Amino acid sequence: ADPPPSIPTSAEDRKAAAALDSLDARGDDEGAAPKKNIDRDALDKAMKALGADKPKPKAALEEKKEVEKKKVVKIDQADVALLVEQLDLSKTKATELLRAHDADAVKAMTAFVTAPV
Amino acid sequence: MAANQQLPSKEQTLFRHVVQNYESKQYKKGLKAAEQILRKHPNHGDTQAMKALILSSQGKSEEAFELCRIALKNAMKSQVCWHVYGLLYRGQRNYEEALKAYRFALRLDPDSSQILRDLAMLQVQMRDYAGYVQSRRTMLQARPQHRQNWTALAIALHMSGDLAGAEDVLQKYEESMRQTPSRSDMENAEAVLYKNTIIAERGEMERALEHVDSIAKMALDKTAVMEMRAQYLLALDRKEEAVEAYTKLLRRNAEHREHYEGLEKAKGLDRSKTEDHQKLGEMYHGWAEQSERIDAPRRLPLDFKTGDAFREHADKYLRRMLKKGVPSTFANVKQLYSDPEKKEVIRELVEGYASEKPQANGSAEPNGSADGSHSKPDAATTWELSVNYFLAQHYDYHLSRDLSRARKHIERAIELKPSETDYTYHMTRARIMKHNGEVAEASKAMNEAREMDLKDRYINTKCAKYQLRNGQHDDAVATMGLFTRKEAVGGPLGDLLDMQCVWFITEDGEAYVRQSNLALALKRFKAVYDIFIAWEDDQFDFHSFSLRKGMVRAYVDMLRWEDRLREHPFFTRAALSAIRIYCALFDHPELAKGGTANGETAEGAAERKKAAKKAKKDAEKAEAERKAAAAKKATPAKKEEDGETKKEDADPHGLELLKSAGEKPLEDAMKFLMPLLEMSPRNVEGQVAGFEVFMRRKKYLPALKCLLAIYAVEPEHPKCHELGCRLRIALERLEEPLPATVKQIVDSEFLQKFAS
Amino acid sequence: MDIRVLRPSDIPHVQQTNITNLPENYFCKYYLYHALSWPQLSYVAVDVSRPKKTPYDAPKIVGYVLAKMEEDPADGIQHGHITSLSVMRTHRRLGLAEKLMRQSQRAMYETYGAVYVSLHVRVSNVAALALYRDTLGFKVGGTEAKYYADGEDAYGMRMDLDYLREEALDEESEDENTMGKDEG
Repeated sequence: ADPPPSIPTSAEDRKAAAALDSLDARGDDEGAAPKKNIDRDALDKAMKALGADKPKPKAALEEKKEVEKKKVVKIDQADVALLVEQLDLSKTKATELLRAHDADAVKAMTAFVTAPV
Repeated sequence: MAANQQLPSKEQTLFRHVVQNYESKQYKKGLKAAEQILRKHPNHGDTQAMKALILSSQGKSEEAFELCRIALKNAMKSQVCWHVYGLLYRGQRNYEEALKAYRFALRLDPDSSQILRDLAMLQVQMRDYAGYVQSRRTMLQARPQHRQNWTALAIALHMSGDLAGAEDVLQKYEESMRQTPSRSDMENAEAVLYKNTIIAERGEMERALEHVDSIAKMALDKTAVMEMRAQYLLALDRKEEAVEAYTKLLRRNAEHREHYEGLEKAKGLDRSKTEDHQKLGEMYHGWAEQSERIDAPRRLPLDFKTGDAFREHADKYLRRMLKKGVPSTFANVKQLYSDPEKKEVIRELVEGYASEKPQANGSAEPNGSADGSHSKPDAATTWELSVNYFLAQHYDYHLSRDLSRARKHIERAIELKPSETDYTYHMTRARIMKHNGEVAEASKAMNEAREMDLKDRYINTKCAKYQLRNGQHDDAVATMGLFTRKEAVGGPLGDLLDMQCVWFITEDGEAYVRQSNLALALKRFKAVYDIFIAWEDDQFDFHSFSLRKGMVRAYVDMLRWEDRLREHPFFTRAALSAIRIYCALFDHPELAKGGTANGETAEGAAERKKAAKKAKKDAEKAEAERKAAAAKKATPAKKEEDGETKKEDADPHGLELLKSAGEKPLEDAMKFLMPLLEMSPRNVEGQVAGFEVFMRRKKYLPALKCLLAIYAVEPEHPKCHELGCRLRIALERLEEPLPATVKQIVDSEFLQKFAS
Repeated sequence: MDIRVLRPSDIPHVQQTNITNLPENYFCKYYLYHALSWPQLSYVAVDVSRPKKTPYDAPKIVGYVLAKMEEDPADGIQHGHITSLSVMRTHRRLGLAEKLMRQSQRAMYETYGAVYVSLHVRVSNVAALALYRDTLGFKVGGTEAKYYADGEDAYGMRMDLDYLREEALDEESEDENTMGKDEG
């Protein structure tokens, strides 16, 4: 490796610089050989099980439900704009806040102002 | 890669070298090879991109961006160009743009493990855990034979809140192991303990205990295992075993407070119940008996004992410590002063010692001082010294202040002159002066204390602090410079900035505030702000490093700490001062021009100019000296071309910074304010600062939110009334009426509740 | 005083304690590197008797030991290394340095199988030399010329960790007496 910009004059600093330099070693993440005591079959099975366990179908379902729920609460863009202006929030945050309070601007703003600390 | 960008085989080899050179940080070689390719193929996008990447690693980020944009024009569909583009943005901490570029690159080359890895690192850095989980799943599918990919997915799930999923992933990997890993397999030992912490976090104490017991023999981190076990036993109310577990822990470390707390609970003892005090006292007595050298079990009973029992114990404790000459004795008991009765008992006791005849029978401690440079004073002197030193600190403390008495006792201690180099008492004398408002005398006295032991950095540090309190910036920097690295760019201050010496930078800024030099004050607080950004960025490399090392529990600790980084009082203190300046700049825009606050006299300004001139001259002198020294060392100057060069400060007096702050003071204030309100909402001063900023921005609901927070945390806060009145008046004098809905909230949450 | 293992959140104050007391200073990242590579080895002494000013007060660190394992030991023997150790002047004579070191040394032995622990000390630092030699039992192994930035030499000191093997055996036999044998 090229020497660092200014060579530290103390051995102590050189050690520190070298250690920090190696932290972000690139490309050697996957370099090490895999451990030998791995049972490939078992691993494959584990992978499959992981795939099967993957909460995907369920989670996707729930997500869908949530989307549906979100749709039920219709958020007025004028309310979003009001919250952005009055509460000094980003659009995303303002939308979230409204969604959490049945799209009711007064409820949402009251909750914001009186949130416990 | 686009077809028209295909290189001939010779250049392809060269290109591979460029990549390798970059990865092994051989930037010069890499550049040379890249330029060799570009001579024949001047528009080769990938090569241009790699060259840009190397340039940015050398600190030439503007040049790098420019080149990378050209590269992208030449090779719109090259994943290399997009990947590099992302890396450049990531280097600038523009994470959003980096994320977009990585995603684009990944779309062009969905199987690239490099791009995926960089994307994943960015996601965890940004705490986009949903995205991180997804990336980690893909990475695991590509390389399931590497354990770290399993562990990484588990961490991603854990952090995203899916504890069951995280445990399951770790479990699945364990089940696929053919044989038990060797005892010295650190990665395994850690992964197993990590799994245990997840089980415990799920609240399943029974299972966590069972599991920790099953791995205890194998575990390498014995202390952690013993602590986990003890906690689980206690949580499961298995008291006898918990007593045993905490007893063992205390045998290993008798100075750890948590172990004593655990033991108390395991024994079912409660400090708030007087009837338990007898047993508690016996318990601590037992531990104190174990060794002469332990402090905790001797000190702890002072917290719960009361009345005569307290007096008796305090007497024993204080005599013991004072006889030994332990200088932190006062520091160690002052917490008790919040109880006025205890404060008075301690005062009586030590005042009593002062009038006692000196005892000559105290034998010298065999291994007290580590300072072999001078002979120990005799027992009688040690005693008198300790007592006077204690009383000096007692009468200096704000809850028991009587500065003339403090002065008397410290003078007596100094008279006893324990050694030529022990500056302890002189240091306290300076402190007493400071509390008496004699700032200049205190600084002088601290400097005298410093001169007693020129090799000691502690007193040097104290002295610099007192110099700053007295507005002696140059002196303070020079004092600090006695211990900073001589080769540091920018002199001592440059070194202190490099070494992230937050206290000095903050104190220096506050001193400038007192002198109404807002430019330099702001510059210092901004420097603290930047140090926190650096600390935040420091975690980046560990996202991959920790997985390689396998030390995942510590890594998770770090993530959680970084999440709350800015709740640190270091940040709060600098932020509060900075916000005050921004508000002043908003109220008096003319301040942004000269850097002098309102009402400064012409003389003051001239004085300051003179000082600035002198400082500049000094700095120039120091810089010249540094350069001469560097030249003498013959560190080849060409080294600087290679790596990142440290730039000279283009705005040493902060005037540019102040000017730009003057253009949008409240916007800049928000950068300090938001972390403050988010991380330390129960800090009243932060809420007051928030109120001030939001009022100026005419954001009345957020201002009200701050006001309500102050009421909630400290209803009796002196500012409550004033701020309430100001909000009320502001609401009465609105130029435009509030929207009806907002008015409704103001009425119900403020005007009706706080009717005058 | 509370003596416990160093946590990442302690680092700002450990860094402050270091720069207050010693001329060899490091960035936050170097502390992180220690805390995340060998999280068992570094310890802090915390002043727990400070009255709190806000709910966010960080523990006040009055002493610390920053330690590591030598990554590629030249002699091929696993050993620990003390990167930095300091105790605030105001908190001397409590034996903190020794207590911190003992905890660190045991972790080096237990977790990483360290055979000995090494450190460097300025040849002019009489007080530290006395502490390491007389109180902690280190021995001077040699001198390293111009180890420090200002050109000063360092003593290389080391201490064998044999005594921990015996301690561990004691603990084990006690375990067997009190708990009976459990199936591992």
